[in-house]
Amino acid sequence: MNTEKAGKLIRFEKLKKFIGGDKLILIGAIIVVFALFTSLNKNFLSVTNLVNILVAASLVGLVAIGHTYLIIAGQNDLSPGSLVAFSGVLAALLVSWGINLFIAMIITIAAAALVGVLNAWMVNKIKLEAFIATLVTQSVIRGFAYILCGGKPVSISNPTFISIGKLRFAGIPFSVWIMIIAFIIFGFILAKTRFGRSIYAIGGNRDAARLAGLNPPKIITISFVMMGVMCGLGGIVFASRMNSGQPSANVNLEFDAITAVILGGVSFTGGVGSMGGTILGVILIQAFNTGLTMVNVPSFWQYVAKGMLLLFALSSDYLRKQKRERNLLEASKRNG
Amino acid sequence: MGNTLEFRNITKYFPGVKALDHVSFSARSGEVLAFLGENGAGKSTLLKTLNGDYQPDEGQYLVNGEEAHFSNPHEAIEAGISVIYQERQILMELSVAENIYLGRMPSNKIGVINTHKANEMAKVIISDFGLPIRPGDKVKDLSIAYQQMVEIMKAYSRENLKVICFDEPTASLSDSEIDSLFTIIRKLKSEGKIIIYVSHRMQEIREITDKAAIFKDGCYVDTVVTKDVTEKEMIKKMVGRDLGDIYNNLDRSKEIGDVLLEAKNITSDYVDDVSFTLHKGEVLGFSGLVGAGRTETMRAIIGADKMTRGEVFLEGKRVINNSPYHAMRNGIVLVPEDRKTQGILANLSVADNINVALLDKHSNKFGVLRHEDEARDADKGIVDFRIKTPSRDKKIVELSGGNQQKCVVARWMGTNPKVLILDEPTKGIDVGAKSEFYRMICDFARRGLGVILISSELPEVIGLSDRIIVMRSRKIAGEVMREDATEDKLLSLGMMDSDFDEAKEN
Repeated sequence: MNTEKAGKLIRFEKLKKFIGGDKLILIGAIIVVFALFTSLNKNFLSVTNLVNILVAASLVGLVAIGHTYLIIAGQNDLSPGSLVAFSGVLAALLVSWGINLFIAMIITIAAAALVGVLNAWMVNKIKLEAFIATLVTQSVIRGFAYILCGGKPVSISNPTFISIGKLRFAGIPFSVWIMIIAFIIFGFILAKTRFGRSIYAIGGNRDAARLAGLNPPKIITISFVMMGVMCGLGGIVFASRMNSGQPSANVNLEFDAITAVILGGVSFTGGVGSMGGTILGVILIQAFNTGLTMVNVPSFWQYVAKGMLLLFALSSDYLRKQKRERNLLEASKRNG
Repeated sequence: MGNTLEFRNITKYFPGVKALDHVSFSARSGEVLAFLGENGAGKSTLLKTLNGDYQPDEGQYLVNGEEAHFSNPHEAIEAGISVIYQERQILMELSVAENIYLGRMPSNKIGVINTHKANEMAKVIISDFGLPIRPGDKVKDLSIAYQQMVEIMKAYSRENLKVICFDEPTASLSDSEIDSLFTIIRKLKSEGKIIIYVSHRMQEIREITDKAAIFKDGCYVDTVVTKDVTEKEMIKKMVGRDLGDIYNNLDRSKEIGDVLLEAKNITSDYVDDVSFTLHKGEVLGFSGLVGAGRTETMRAIIGADKMTRGEVFLEGKRVINNSPYHAMRNGIVLVPEDRKTQGILANLSVADNINVALLDKHSNKFGVLRHEDEARDADKGIVDFRIKTPSRDKKIVELSGGNQQKCVVARWMGTNPKVLILDEPTKGIDVGAKSEFYRMICDFARRGLGVILISSELPEVIGLSDRIIVMRSRKIAGEVMREDATEDKLLSLGMMDSDFDEAKEN
């Protein structure tokens, strides 16, 4: 009996180590959110709704991947909402001009990547804080989204383009598969490659990383370009789901993505975090958003609720940091 | 009725170090007390603990017999304890009077400031101090020495001033300015203030202080009456043992080979026309005052700063280092001066810190890292450099300062460099780890590396180097062979000639 208990305990400890202590709290929070909304509306746990949550999460997820890289590298990006809208409009417009769908997608993603280059240029060359630099592109790119289409949504008639948003494999929509594959690929890159390690190094201490032979401007540029590609891809998939390129869509998308990333354990001060945490953060925030709508919380109040969730994320980031410092001090006392 | 100040068992931890270890002693009115100790001995930490910048983890301090507690420097100032730091803590755009009465300018009932009254009050203090400045002068227009005086007057203007601490106050003063500072210090002393004076300059300590509290590795060692003991005795207490023995017992490199590195006319925004050579198996010391351009020369050579003119030759071939990465590929590496901000990657593990310069070597053509290779090289570094850590996965900041520094050295030695540049490698690490570093440096030279050692500690640079280059105001001031090197000689080359000659004659 006792040994059985001990065995369970060891297994639990192993599990805890595998998931990571902080993430266990996150999983707990997800369970609480699901339980809460299910008790308020039992449709919340229906298969249809869960798939809806995943579909809605797919866009936040792609952007959150970009934010995971950027924030760990000590950067940030406020332009994704605009860039996703811009990309959707551009892709829809190009296709409506009769350009081959595949080529239109390539052009769109290249244009979005170029915006990433611009963001990186402002950060690297004009030495702007990423927060401020990307505020510039947030406004400029939103402006171009409207200018491109004269302010009116561009409807999509190309059947292949529309079908991207409707396709399903194994009952799961294509857009969700894109997110899952992106999470796997970019999670692997972050954890297991030279580039991923460099992201952590420059986010932890940029000067020391440079003196250690790394090239911070290059790594920052690649990260911003990656974010651009994510936004371009996300914009195409989103437009396909909407059957149109919408210049006014996705306002505050970056807000959700950043909240998800911070909830998932990436530290605002840089150098700390993982893709696994981001996945959980994305699930949590999308369940939260969908749940609020399902239980008929008025949209004005949803803004307040989202703000509170971000505050919660930031405070837990602060508490984790405090805990790290306290542990460190304890360790020093033991050694000293 | 004199003032007293007592420390009881003050202990303060920082990540990786015990900065103060049960420090207990006392100071009283009308004496100037020196804080004496090597870099990292705990002098500044104790000052910052006293003025509320840091909170002690254990112990307490008593002001006039009463236990005091300051949660921030403001509370300490209110209670009559002021610290004058090396860096000015005044507002350049404001006037002398406004700075002196900052935050408590005389005002009427509705809060309108009475500048005239402030100027009158300031005038009294200024004439007390005998200074040729006016209350309305903008502080930014004053010389550095007078700016410092404004800070002292600011502290002095508080009726209840009990303790005034000076942290390296003469670092940027000329001789005559130092004299007028000492006049003020004697005045404060005669008025019954407790004066704490932190400085590395033995001559000044001898001249102005009555007693010296000596620190070593965060511990309080002893208080001596300054005029009763010799300089040598004080140094011995600071260092804990005769470092001379350590230097003499080193197994030094005996074979100095061909020219390895030749730097010609190195010029950057921070240095002018620096040329020197380094041989295989040689330890080349770089001495000089802080800011003389030693670090900056090396930064230009490895491409950390832009080199505007000059050439670097390695084994006779010209090399161009546009960034530290290129320098590393060419075999020239630098262990930087400030471990915390330029050396370690605090968020990463011991292994990641050792391996960060080897990411290319440890990854395949797709950039995927091979975990086994990383683990093997990390463990090798830990063993080779005797890094004390429970495991390679430990966060580097949990190690002691000396072990963190060993990780940075291990990082660079892993790249098989030809030239190893060490910038103040033993700053802030304890004596035991220091002698380990000294053995390491000799070992590198014996293996045929060229080692450049930048150090502000004269005994260290003399004890280890085969040849010493002295820098002064961005240029090379001279070169001294090991046999001829004395502290006097290096100092006289490193400081302004005229100043030094005067100082010597005094």
